[in-house]
Amino acid sequence: MKQRYALRVNGGTRETEAEPHESLLDVLRENLRLTGSKKGCNEAECGSCTVLLDGRPVVSCLVLVPDAVDREIVTIEALAEDGEPHPVQRQMVEQGGVQCGYCTPGMIMSAYALLQENPDPTDEEIRFAISGNICRCTGYGKIVKAVRAAAEEMGNEGT
Amino acid sequence: MAIRKGLGIGSMYYGIGYGFSRADIGSAEIEMAEDGTTTVYSGACDMGQGVMTVVTQVAAEELGIEPEQIRVVAADTGSTPDAGPTSGSRATFVQGVAVQNAARELREEILDMASRMLECPRENLDVHRGEVCEVGTDRPMVSVGKVAHQLHFHGRRAAAWGWHDNTTQDVDPETSQGDAYATYGWATQLAEVEVDTETGRVRLTKLVSATDAGKAINPVAVEGQIEGGAAMGLGYGLYEQHILENGVPRTASLAFYLVPTAMDVPDIECEIVEVPDPRGPFGAKGVAEPATIPTTPAILNAIYDAIGIRITETPITPERVFFAIQEAKSRGEFSDD
Repeated sequence: MKQRYALRVNGGTRETEAEPHESLLDVLRENLRLTGSKKGCNEAECGSCTVLLDGRPVVSCLVLVPDAVDREIVTIEALAEDGEPHPVQRQMVEQGGVQCGYCTPGMIMSAYALLQENPDPTDEEIRFAISGNICRCTGYGKIVKAVRAAAEEMGNEGT
Repeated sequence: MAIRKGLGIGSMYYGIGYGFSRADIGSAEIEMAEDGTTTVYSGACDMGQGVMTVVTQVAAEELGIEPEQIRVVAADTGSTPDAGPTSGSRATFVQGVAVQNAARELREEILDMASRMLECPRENLDVHRGEVCEVGTDRPMVSVGKVAHQLHFHGRRAAAWGWHDNTTQDVDPETSQGDAYATYGWATQLAEVEVDTETGRVRLTKLVSATDAGKAINPVAVEGQIEGGAAMGLGYGLYEQHILENGVPRTASLAFYLVPTAMDVPDIECEIVEVPDPRGPFGAKGVAEPATIPTTPAILNAIYDAIGIRITETPITPERVFFAIQEAKSRGEFSDD
């Protein structure tokens, strides 16, 4: 039976009705029309549905809606500010880290979460942080480069 | 842990396009608006290969306008002419020429009208950065948009159609001799691996790839294709195993069918070799599939270099390497020291 849920998404509260067994991903995409998070495998293997839950990257296909209540949800839609892409987004484009684009939102969320916690990661740490996000196009090299460049850009902004 | 390192080389050549007399056609329409914005209707579908970028750059270069002035409408059966699939490493090589042909014809239309507008011989005019100029100068005389406006004023479209047929001859059915493809891509890769002789696990630690691109129209995109292709080659070599049991796939999920992650793909050093091909747009040819092919042979050779055993089955799983080592040991052909 459908229940009412109030979800804290991207700084606001969104009310929606869903079955308790529905995934956060489905509710984000279907109910709230936040279609930036992608549904790739729907079994936590590909990472294209990655969102932040209380600041930590999670695969939203495996989070049940009731488990997301009273927690801060951040999706790819919240990263750009006033139409300006976030440094991770901009560098993904600049460095050629986007090819077909399907893994890109989840990849960016994992990288964003890493940089929140570790503003100056090594390439090894970047590779570990995005290892749950599968990319079939790029071979990852340019994505790692983009995250490194974003870290540098954000570091320069901070000083 | 007993780690042994090895180096190996893999080389290949690969037919670009469909070859063997199979239909291999590209086509595009191009139309300029009165502000110079130019729309290319291109049937080639971009699934991450970068063909839309290539189409944009080829059209801009051939027309003499800025890439920012190009808009691409791609892969819409309702509005774009057929260009065949983006496969066989053919999109740049075949569709690139179709787009170049369309842009060249539009440029002729523009110069023809500009010559009448400026009362200047056609052969003295050129298009540079969206402006009609005198040959050898970049002093703007009239913008391409204004010329498009004049064409419209005379009841003509500022539009052109481009077509390119890359269909080749078939080989001799009796002898299999002949030139099956319009051109070929060439690539060599050097792999460095580490083999754990206790577990059989193989890691690719470094890959250097030299690929003949003819001409890299967009070097970043070419590198992306090469790195992505090599990552697929790595998956084919070490990880991706499709198991069928009585016709039922047992590896029907990414949990069992292992695709390389960011931790499996090492730094890939890309060397782009440019030997212009007269049949491609500005000398370019396909690079995508060629990049996947030499990776596994290079890894297999590197494993042989590391442990002196030829593995002959892919993917080169830890089990296969482990049992190959055990077998070699039982024959007295492998020692741990």
